[in-house]
Amino acid sequence: MNAAEPNVLVKASHLSVRYGAKAAVDDVSFTIPKGRIVGLLGHNGAGKTTLMKAMVGLTQGEGELSVLGFQPRPQRAQLLEQACYIPDVAILPRWARVEDLISLMSGIHPRFSAERARSLLRRTSVGLRDKVKTLSKGMVVQAHLALVAAIDAKLMILDEPTLGLDVLSRKAFYEMLIDEWCDGERSVLISTHQVEEIESLLSDVLMLNEGKLVLSISLEDMEKRFVGVSHDAAVAEQIAAAHPLLRYRTGAGPSGNAAIFDGAPPEHVQALGQRIRPSLVDLFVALTRKPELDRTHF
Amino acid sequence: MQTWDDRQPIYQQLADMLAAQLLDGDPLEGAAMPSVRALAGRYLLNPLTVNRALKALGDEGLLENRRGLGLFVMAGARERLRAAERNRFLHSEWPRLRERLRRLGISAQQLNWEER
Repeated sequence: MNAAEPNVLVKASHLSVRYGAKAAVDDVSFTIPKGRIVGLLGHNGAGKTTLMKAMVGLTQGEGELSVLGFQPRPQRAQLLEQACYIPDVAILPRWARVEDLISLMSGIHPRFSAERARSLLRRTSVGLRDKVKTLSKGMVVQAHLALVAAIDAKLMILDEPTLGLDVLSRKAFYEMLIDEWCDGERSVLISTHQVEEIESLLSDVLMLNEGKLVLSISLEDMEKRFVGVSHDAAVAEQIAAAHPLLRYRTGAGPSGNAAIFDGAPPEHVQALGQRIRPSLVDLFVALTRKPELDRTHF
Repeated sequence: MQTWDDRQPIYQQLADMLAAQLLDGDPLEGAAMPSVRALAGRYLLNPLTVNRALKALGDEGLLENRRGLGLFVMAGARERLRAAERNRFLHSEWPRLRERLRRLGISAQQLNWEER
């Protein structure tokens, strides 16, 4: 680990990843301390998968990147002993039985505990004798998480882990992750499109837009920095004049209007409505809109 | 999944929800609270948020920390909660209710106090 910053698991400094002339990740800097659950948000093509790949040494970046004190590309083998990664294209071999996968993992990963994997699987409806091809999509993802969470690692990187799962499978997935893996020391980085659903799980958020990091903040600081005001349609013009980051509708009727401000707006503007907690999804929309769609600049 | 409103911090909403459960005797006085991780898993919340909610309940004298054992519901917690609820009803709900009864012209005699 980094001797100067023992609590920092990941540190990126002016990191870029280029595919030809295009920068998929463009000059990003951030840190991930211990014991955090970090959401990596961005539209398709924003660079989420590329960033995660760089973090586990699957692609080469420019700039500085340290993960658990290792340089991911040259020190990939050592890094992967202490970090787990479920890529967005993760598959388990269809012909294998779950118990075969446990034996396989025991053979290849020094920090994998077969006993722990079996105990995690008991939380699920997946049986040890089940073949992967007989499992539902939700059960496959649960089995995959049980296998990966049985690795005694410090960092877990999950790329769109719940894509295509129904709501109960998604809940079961996150429940296992929090209850069984997060212990206040380990950190998780999760990318997802289901922003509303994981907002309350997160301690921090990294927001990517076209390769650039547009926000890197703890949820606690986010609630202090960004101020939501719900207001009546009658005062919409006064609200707009105070230059909010985003105006949106929270419900039907004239009172269902809201605006998000970066920093507290002046008293007389706040007095026009009621202060609300800006949701992560609204902030995401505000910070990642395509400029050509941004009407507030007209 | 659990939904949280945007009027109050989430930890406050969780604290209110847990307090309502304590009032119903879940868990009973003297019994252990579920662990932070169990609550975080159940409500899909960040453990830091759960910690804040539990701390708020501790500050209200509802939970106590027994060293090495975790959090327990304090003796007298339900009575304290009931007193706070009673107070809230009398000072914030009752005036509104009384106002509504007046507007509708309903007298005390017209109200049926017995369950039928």
